Amino acid sequence: MKIVIKAFLRYLLRRRSLSILQLLGIACGVAAVIGMAISARSALYSFNEAIEFLRGKATHHIEKPAGSMDEDILIEIINDPAVDFFSPVIDRRIRIADGEVVRLLGIDPFLDSNIRPEIVRTISRDRYSQENNVLYDFIYMENAVLIDGSMAKKLGLSPKDTINTNKGIFNVVGTFSNPSGELLIIMDIGNAQKVFELKGMIDRIDLILNDDTGFRGRWGQGFKIESNRQRRENLTALLQAFKLNLQALSLLALFVGVFLIYNTAMFAVVSRRKDAGIMRGIGVRRSEVFLAFTTEIILFGIAGGAIGSIFGYILSRILTDILGSTISNLYFFLRPTPLAWSWWNMLAGIVLGCGASLLGGITPMIDLVKTEPVSALRGRIYQKASRKTVKKLSVYGLLIILMGIVFLFFTSAHVYIGFAGTFIFLIGISLTTGFVLMVSIPLLRRFFSYLSGTIGKIAISNIWLNTNRTSIAVAAFMIALSMAIGLGSLIHSFRHSLIWWMNSQLRGDIYISTRSDVDVPLELYEELKKIPGIGGIDIYRNIQITYRGKPVHITAIDSSVLKKYTQFSWLKGGSENWDPVKKGSVIVSESFARRFRIKEGDTVSIESARGMVSLPVTGIFHDYSTEHGVIMMDRSTYINLFNDRTINSLGIFIDVKGEKRQGIIEQVEKMAYARGLPTSRQRQFHERILGVFDNTFAITRSMRTLATIVAFFGIAGALMTLFVERQQEFGIYRALGFSTGQVALITLMEGIGMGLISFLMSIFTGSAIAYILIKVINLESFNWTIFFYFSLNPYLAAFTTAILASIGASLYPLWKVYRLYPQMQIREE
Amino acid sequence: MDTPRPIIKTIDLWKRYNTDEESFALRGANLEVYPGEILTIFGKSGSGKTTLLNLIAGLDRPTQGKIEIEGNDMEAMGEKVRTELRRKRIGFVFQFFNLLPTLTALENVLFSLELIGKPDKDSALEALSSVGLKGKENRFPFQLSGGEQQRVAIARAIVKKPSIILADEPTGNLDTATGEHVLNLLVSQCKRYGATLIMVSHAMNTCRFATRIINMVDGILVEDRSTGDCEV
Amino acid sequence: MKDSSGFDFKKWNTQGKYNFFNKTRLIWIILPLLFFFHIHFLPVALYSSLSYCYASEWKQAIGHRMWEFPKDHGSHPEYRTEWWYFTGNLSDETQARYGYQLTFFRHSLKKMPQQTDKNHKTYPWIVDDVYLAHFTITDIQNKRFWFTERTSRKGPGLAYAATDRMDIRLLNWKAIMKKNRIFIKAGHQGMEIDLELTPEKPVVLHGKDGLSMKGETQGQASYYYSFTRLKTKGFIKTPLSKKSVRVNGTSWFDHEFGSNQLSSEQEGWDWFSLHLSDGRDLMIYLLRKKDGSVEGASSGTIVEKDGTSRHLALSLINIQVLNKWISPKTKGTYPNRWHIKVPAAQIELTIYPLMDGQELITDASTRIIYWEGAVEGKGMSKNKPVIATGYVELTGYAGSLGGVF
Repeated sequence: MKIVIKAFLRYLLRRRSLSILQLLGIACGVAAVIGMAISARSALYSFNEAIEFLRGKATHHIEKPAGSMDEDILIEIINDPAVDFFSPVIDRRIRIADGEVVRLLGIDPFLDSNIRPEIVRTISRDRYSQENNVLYDFIYMENAVLIDGSMAKKLGLSPKDTINTNKGIFNVVGTFSNPSGELLIIMDIGNAQKVFELKGMIDRIDLILNDDTGFRGRWGQGFKIESNRQRRENLTALLQAFKLNLQALSLLALFVGVFLIYNTAMFAVVSRRKDAGIMRGIGVRRSEVFLAFTTEIILFGIAGGAIGSIFGYILSRILTDILGSTISNLYFFLRPTPLAWSWWNMLAGIVLGCGASLLGGITPMIDLVKTEPVSALRGRIYQKASRKTVKKLSVYGLLIILMGIVFLFFTSAHVYIGFAGTFIFLIGISLTTGFVLMVSIPLLRRFFSYLSGTIGKIAISNIWLNTNRTSIAVAAFMIALSMAIGLGSLIHSFRHSLIWWMNSQLRGDIYISTRSDVDVPLELYEELKKIPGIGGIDIYRNIQITYRGKPVHITAIDSSVLKKYTQFSWLKGGSENWDPVKKGSVIVSESFARRFRIKEGDTVSIESARGMVSLPVTGIFHDYSTEHGVIMMDRSTYINLFNDRTINSLGIFIDVKGEKRQGIIEQVEKMAYARGLPTSRQRQFHERILGVFDNTFAITRSMRTLATIVAFFGIAGALMTLFVERQQEFGIYRALGFSTGQVALITLMEGIGMGLISFLMSIFTGSAIAYILIKVINLESFNWTIFFYFSLNPYLAAFTTAILASIGASLYPLWKVYRLYPQMQIREE
Repeated sequence: MDTPRPIIKTIDLWKRYNTDEESFALRGANLEVYPGEILTIFGKSGSGKTTLLNLIAGLDRPTQGKIEIEGNDMEAMGEKVRTELRRKRIGFVFQFFNLLPTLTALENVLFSLELIGKPDKDSALEALSSVGLKGKENRFPFQLSGGEQQRVAIARAIVKKPSIILADEPTGNLDTATGEHVLNLLVSQCKRYGATLIMVSHAMNTCRFATRIINMVDGILVEDRSTGDCEV
Repeated sequence: MKDSSGFDFKKWNTQGKYNFFNKTRLIWIILPLLFFFHIHFLPVALYSSLSYCYASEWKQAIGHRMWEFPKDHGSHPEYRTEWWYFTGNLSDETQARYGYQLTFFRHSLKKMPQQTDKNHKTYPWIVDDVYLAHFTITDIQNKRFWFTERTSRKGPGLAYAATDRMDIRLLNWKAIMKKNRIFIKAGHQGMEIDLELTPEKPVVLHGKDGLSMKGETQGQASYYYSFTRLKTKGFIKTPLSKKSVRVNGTSWFDHEFGSNQLSSEQEGWDWFSLHLSDGRDLMIYLLRKKDGSVEGASSGTIVEKDGTSRHLALSLINIQVLNKWISPKTKGTYPNRWHIKVPAAQIELTIYPLMDGQELITDASTRIIYWEGAVEGKGMSKNKPVIATGYVELTGYAGSLGGVF
């Protein structure tokens, strides 16, 4: 059937602009999915790489549950029969001159050569390349460091240069290659102890063990021993909610992408109805028409998928950066390197493009092949669905919506069910589009005829007369707009909940050292306490432990200070919840309580430096600081349990008002500055948290933009197909005495009409999505309650998008109208 | 001698388009067409003549009634055989030409041959030249005038040497002179190959070429007059 | 980088004309350090002509030494390099034979002033001496050879050598002398020895009262003494045996220290320590020069059954290589069978390795290769047939690993 296929393919060339649009439609859909998937994979891959690189050949590590440990422990480690190799490590963060936080490992190159041989080997490999002996310098030069290659490149550093850091000036004596992408500085352990004032202390010991059980038996008490598997699991668990988020976004991308491709493919088929009719009329078999269509769709799928995969790859490079900074902000430093281009991406793109295209094309294709040739021959003639069909479809839609809602009720079983429910809900809603069109058309007709008389009326009637196509375009656009509204409302509500939370809990006038890379010396606390006018100082220490195999945080605070100066919001009760905390009870965050199903009055058992202890829970408070859950205890309890006096930061509450308060704030700032400790006043602190928050949602926002772009192509494609096919109809209008401008106006009105209906539907759907995201998905994946705060902005943004996109999408047809006008006549072909 | 068997026979054909409504396009059409006849079905717009033609071509299915082509029940044939029939035994000429816009004149004709399994370029060229399109073989439909397009359509229908040619308002979209020309061509080609021709038309010009004329009013074939003397 | 001695070795390094394997047995103290200090460090130690200014911080092995035991079994940090060398031939109840080598090296990288914190505690991570150790086990029956090594600074109790007695520790490996017995213990990844060594003869001072010359120049020497024959009992475990096996046998202990003894013309060296079945012990070392000749300062020592010893000048020793072995791993060609004649001591022996592949290829990063393994032999001593067992060390035969990989 060469000629049949030839006839089809020539069509693609003749309708170049439409073909390009279709191709772009598929490409955008594929790009959204591939881009999201690659960047998610890049992030997780880099994350694994970073873990692998840092652990080297170690099988385990041992550390104190909290804080550093005395290096004398090494002598016992040496003699433990389970230990094949060991390497003491100081693992800290420093801030380099450009404000970036960098990991610094203090190691002993002799002992570490068995754990991370490549680091030491790299610098001893090029024996003749450098004048100096790198390792000699590394050991003997003051503040000598090795930096990894990417950092050297980034900062333009080479050996013999220096770097300014918050811990002094470091001398670069060499570089090593670090595939993990994490900026890394290596220092001799002796130097590191001096730099961090940790003489006699080490942070952990990396081990190569030959007997896990034996070692744990001897060291279980008071130490935290993690095998690499556990460590990876813990770190992965840390990323769990984030990963889920990524998956949700990838799914969203998939959904929107498939929808767009579906749309495109369907238009491709529908617009070829007449040709198929002619062929059938002269005796072409159904199967041959089917084959020709399939060939065309697959060719489109291949080309669009291939282009899309390249787009997607480019997109992923942008998204990967965003992902990296989000992960770094929330969890731990990670600079994901985008995965290298792989032809598998293209294959995936092609499979996706073809698959979704076939999915989109199959229904109209079957429909077409089934209809009698004569009706196909009528070609595009109004594709009005009968009222009966529309009603039937919307009943199905309602049933599907109900099914989605049932799914949502079972979200607690697994959040994936929630995702599924959401998508089912959306599919259901889109099935009702036809019905909504049917109901709203009379109203719109009135509105548009009020706006622009007969022209408006004609435009709206055109939408209705082509329901079969317009409803799908409207549905696609509606879904994209709803996503935007839903995500926008979620972000807004979350942001306001966060502000509310900060205002109730982070009420200190000034905070010292709220960054993770610096601790506060106890002396400063003692000095500050003596300043008159300071009513209370909250002394804050946060560590991460494993609770029931999952990472959670323990936060030590001064409960009497917090009781006096903050207004924690409790799930139950009020500030009397603080009273038992002073005596050794703990309070837990909402996320902790939900995650582990802990109620007030239960106890939590944690591994402390003195073994397992059970602590009664007296209150549950709202918290957005971490989705992993927080156990909050009084500092006295903490010191008793963990024997760790580290202070991460201080929150200072000032009693006096006015100028004097200002004076005290400045005095505190000076004192902190003298010790090189960063401070932030309450407002700055809150702003910084909001900054992190906004950064965190960067990826979500980019997905939102992506959804809108995809929707734009969807509606543009729909409109364009409609218009391109209807060219001769413009001739009729012309014959009826319409001016070019009026014909153009009809086009525009149709576009705007569709945009408007999409927007109207998205008001409802978007709000529903917002509700689902806030009350179901978020609660299940992060275990915290977000309070709904209404904001008009997402709706306004959606409205603007709808109108602009429909105008934008009408531009090509408008241009076509003006260009073709003179030749237009009432004839076919 | 036996009475020749009708090549086309319809028995009590009914057709309703919209299931919602009680309006029928055909209300019990009975027709017998014999080989070599040139038949014109004449009627006003909406009288059901195109519907009848479409049903005979198997492009649509009757609501009720029976069609026999060369003695075979069309309904009993099934879609596959009906397609084969269209492909090999029936040529169709449409009012709006219905050439495939993306194929050249030659390709459109060749396509028809390809469908019967004889993609012979020479036959196609010959068919085109016999309808007076020599030299325009490689033009696309939009590069041809309406009359030329219809000639391509005729070539497309004739080239496969079908026993039946159905023409739906073959001149409906053409000016009178061109229409005349095209009709001449159509009829002469049919005669040349001995094909049975059924034309439907609301214009009188077709009558002149017919051996038989049938009138169609509101879905019923009402009259069967003898040849030639229709009012022009 | 300016060394505190005033010697600018950076300048030296750039001239870099040295041969990687032109050294004596002592080089093995320094070689592992190449891992950390590249080879640039090496010429400094190698060029004896300049070593005065460089090594001036450390004491030189010059002149007569007043030996004082057990204090001299301990560490001599005033000298730059020092090692304690244990080798032995053992067998278990089933007469399966084993060889072992356990060597501790102490090498001073830099003289560092002791740093103390405000509590007057010394700061342990300061690097002055670096300790290294090599540990091998040869399972003769199964023809297997295992090797492992380690390096450490002193750190907070990581490595240590007492100055008043033999008490050397490197992580969990150790050699401690209590009363008249030496306890050595080492283990790693399935290899383990736990041995008790009892000297059967008194200390033997090599060379001239323990001053063993390694070249012509003054200071190109070390102080060197041995327990040539130690009755040995204890346990051995190999990755193959999975559990400890009780063993008995005879060991040899060397202790040597000095500051710069190396000459640029020397290419490598052969060292023999042999126990004869008639109770005599023989030590010979031959320093090979690049030109193929043997360093005139090479020598040996014969120890009689009663413990009396005699210095053997090179002229009294005649060694003939009977066979060679090419290492499949490094392509180094090693002598593999010797005929040793010391007429002055009435000794004539044929010596051969108990297993060929006793080659130490240290981690690719250290790039050191040498052969050190258990040997046996037969021959005549004082006109009576004897059997010999012992250890042989062969250096400078395999070139640099850099060329191999």
